[in-house]
Amino acid sequence: MNLSQALLVFVVMAPGAVFLALASLWLLGWVPSERVLSRITGLTFAASLLGLAAVLWALATTHASAVTATFGNWFAVHEYRFPLVLVADRLSLPFLAMTVALSGLIGKFSATYLHRESGFFRFYALLHLFAFGSLLAFAAGSFDLLIAGWELVGITSVLLIAFFDRRPAPVENGVRVFGVYRACDIGLLVGVFALHKWAGGGSFAAGMPQLAAAQATVVCLFLLLAAAGKAAQVPFSGWLPRAMEGPTPSSAIFYGAISIHAGAYLLLRAQPLLAEAPLASVAVIATGLATAIYGTMAGRASADVKTSLAFASLTQVGVIFVEIGFGWRSVAIAHVLGHSVVRTLQFLRAPSMLHDYRRMRSAIGGELSRERAEDLLPDRVRLWLYRWALDRGHLDTILDRWFIQPLYEISRLFTRLDGIGTARRPSDSAISLPGHAEGEVE
Amino acid sequence: MTAVIAIAAPWLAAILLIARRRRSPRIVGFMGSLVSAAASALLLLAAPAGESLRESLMTLYSCLTMASTLMLPKRDCDAPTVAGVLFMLGATLAAYSTDNLAVFLAGWILTMAPFLVKRWFRVPSWRPVAALSLSSFALALAIGVMWASGHSLSIEALKDRNPGGSAAFALLIAAVILRKGICPAQAWIADLAEGGSGIPTALLLNGHFGALLVARLILPLFPDTANNLFPMLCWFAMATALYVAIRALTENSPRRLLSFLALSQSAAILAGLESRNPEGIAGALAHWFVVTVSTAGLFGILRLLEVRFGENLTASRHFGLAAHAPRLAVSFCIFGLALVGLPGTLSFCSQDLLIHGTLTSHPVAGVVLPIATAMNAVSIFRLFARLFLGKRRTGFTHMADALPRERWTLAAGLLFVVFGGLFPNVIVGQRLAEADAIAAHLFRSVQSYHKM
Repeated sequence: MNLSQALLVFVVMAPGAVFLALASLWLLGWVPSERVLSRITGLTFAASLLGLAAVLWALATTHASAVTATFGNWFAVHEYRFPLVLVADRLSLPFLAMTVALSGLIGKFSATYLHRESGFFRFYALLHLFAFGSLLAFAAGSFDLLIAGWELVGITSVLLIAFFDRRPAPVENGVRVFGVYRACDIGLLVGVFALHKWAGGGSFAAGMPQLAAAQATVVCLFLLLAAAGKAAQVPFSGWLPRAMEGPTPSSAIFYGAISIHAGAYLLLRAQPLLAEAPLASVAVIATGLATAIYGTMAGRASADVKTSLAFASLTQVGVIFVEIGFGWRSVAIAHVLGHSVVRTLQFLRAPSMLHDYRRMRSAIGGELSRERAEDLLPDRVRLWLYRWALDRGHLDTILDRWFIQPLYEISRLFTRLDGIGTARRPSDSAISLPGHAEGEVE
Repeated sequence: MTAVIAIAAPWLAAILLIARRRRSPRIVGFMGSLVSAAASALLLLAAPAGESLRESLMTLYSCLTMASTLMLPKRDCDAPTVAGVLFMLGATLAAYSTDNLAVFLAGWILTMAPFLVKRWFRVPSWRPVAALSLSSFALALAIGVMWASGHSLSIEALKDRNPGGSAAFALLIAAVILRKGICPAQAWIADLAEGGSGIPTALLLNGHFGALLVARLILPLFPDTANNLFPMLCWFAMATALYVAIRALTENSPRRLLSFLALSQSAAILAGLESRNPEGIAGALAHWFVVTVSTAGLFGILRLLEVRFGENLTASRHFGLAAHAPRLAVSFCIFGLALVGLPGTLSFCSQDLLIHGTLTSHPVAGVVLPIATAMNAVSIFRLFARLFLGKRRTGFTHMADALPRERWTLAAGLLFVVFGGLFPNVIVGQRLAEADAIAAHLFRSVQSYHKM
């Protein structure tokens, strides 16, 4: 293993090692002070950033296209292998740099923002786990390893949504988001299985496997399902405003920068397959377009700043999906990077929005123009659109009515079937809807 | 001789406990299971590479019993309970280790005996008693038919001979369905989990006798019949995994919910065993270990919570118990997510193999497994959120988090699932030869499978 490979491994593993160390110390009964935690975090991400810079330098000086670190197979059963390969190439490097830099920034910001918060330690532990999951997903040399990082990002995201665990709403929203994630991740599992079946493996470290057009279409459509779930694309967008229950720094890094773009990364990674699958490309464009329109409409009817920013984020990610669908890879990568930085800044400034707004108003010497595109529409159409946007496109209602409620009805039917022959009444065990704890919904 | 020590030690300890009541049951139980675990570990070390499934299972089960004796709350840790747990350990190890059908049947029946004797472990309704009795009856009949046809009670001697033909095969399948709680016989598991003694019930379920019957008897003895008819059991298993996963979505009784999740995941083991390829079978065998440890941990933690905070816990409202018991909360979260494939735990690898293997053999029906796992993940996270997060309930006095003996026991379980996940080849690699052997029984040879 040469220096570049060792540094790549260090960059990916460092936050994971810190998380493991913190968790072990906590289990042993030791909780580090806020100062120690923020210093450890700062040092970890600063060292990772330096390591990444060195990898970039090595790539630039050697004119190599990628740094690849291979560790054999994590596990193998005959021909079926789970390769442990990390890759830093032109696609993953920007995402790795973005993750390391923004995670360090959020660590620094949160030291003040969450000062004396009871979950301070928990936040930092989860921040490290999230950074590890993201870095693993972005540096993975195979779809199998990408799934591992992908799932870690999902679970940390959900645990941070439920960060303020004394209020029921964040907790219930966390459960809901977890449900959407897991449902969409089925697409990733089945898509990667299909890739294994048709291409003999899920590794892309040495180039994307070749598939026939029909096979590529099937794989890409499954990957699109996973990407749409993670990136809150239509019809799964309903979870994004719910995710705003988490602390602002985590909203910034998850839904302004990294997690929300993980879906775009997955599609960018699968773009050689997308190029072979015009039908899937059209589906990606349609999804992105629908999301962009939905996001801008719903954002305009949002009353609070974090939700508005979330919908603005959604709009941009929708546009990024469109760019990926058209095959504009470099444009999409640049868009992801620019959008992440700007949106993170906006999220972090969200608590000071009124202050910023006043300052801007005094700087320009008056009010901002209130003219909007929707003013051109007839009143009746505007009213209808407003209602539609206010209920966020009825997306949650549609999902509830057509998928979740029927599933619960089936579950209740099974409950009644199980109750046959016993004195136990179904009401003994059931039934308050998951996502709605009894008498506690805010 | 070592096997005899492994089986006899817990039974002797149980007799000692019953004879001299109220004399340190936890210590006697711990020592009995420790001796058993040590003897099983020696057997495992001496076993030839690739033929250590039963020794591994013996070690796992005796360690599980040892952990259970440490985890039993003071309220439950009386002489009859510990004696019952030890009795089940001896019987389970006898069934795991034997090559004789009569001993296997005796082990099968004796493991459930404490649940059938009225004043031992509570059995809340007629369904568990009926299912366990009928499964024993079906197995006894099957063994009778096999003995009449093959004139031997040795598993080795009957291998590949289809003893008793379709009649014996059908009876064995019936025994598996009843004991394992495969649809339509799934309801008794939840009944027993809800109304029975928490930790002993988890031990009974974690014997996985249904899967054992498939791996030790059905596949080696009936390769031809199994090859033709076994997919039916797989479909039943997948249907069960999905049925109970859907059922768990609206269940609010924590015990029933956990039993549904355990059942769904153990049905996945059966589906993996039938997948007819080494990946699926190796995944199923590895998943057997994860499900055993995780569900034991979850049931143990739930019982500790019930003892501390009352037995009226429900998933219909928030209890906010993480504030009182943060270590129990974290352990519950990790065990729960480990059950449904959290990366970094052994189940991520086992489920990866299992789903891959099942999708390979059943490309359409196999999709049921990831769907069921996704639903299970939502259910376990909902239960975690409702028990441990949300507004704290008033009325609880300050309660202790995990006590040192509980903490270290849980830590050992967590280390197993986490280190198993970081270094899965240690477990998956060991199961590979057995997976090949099972696949070879179904396909006569692994090579013929690979040629397909």
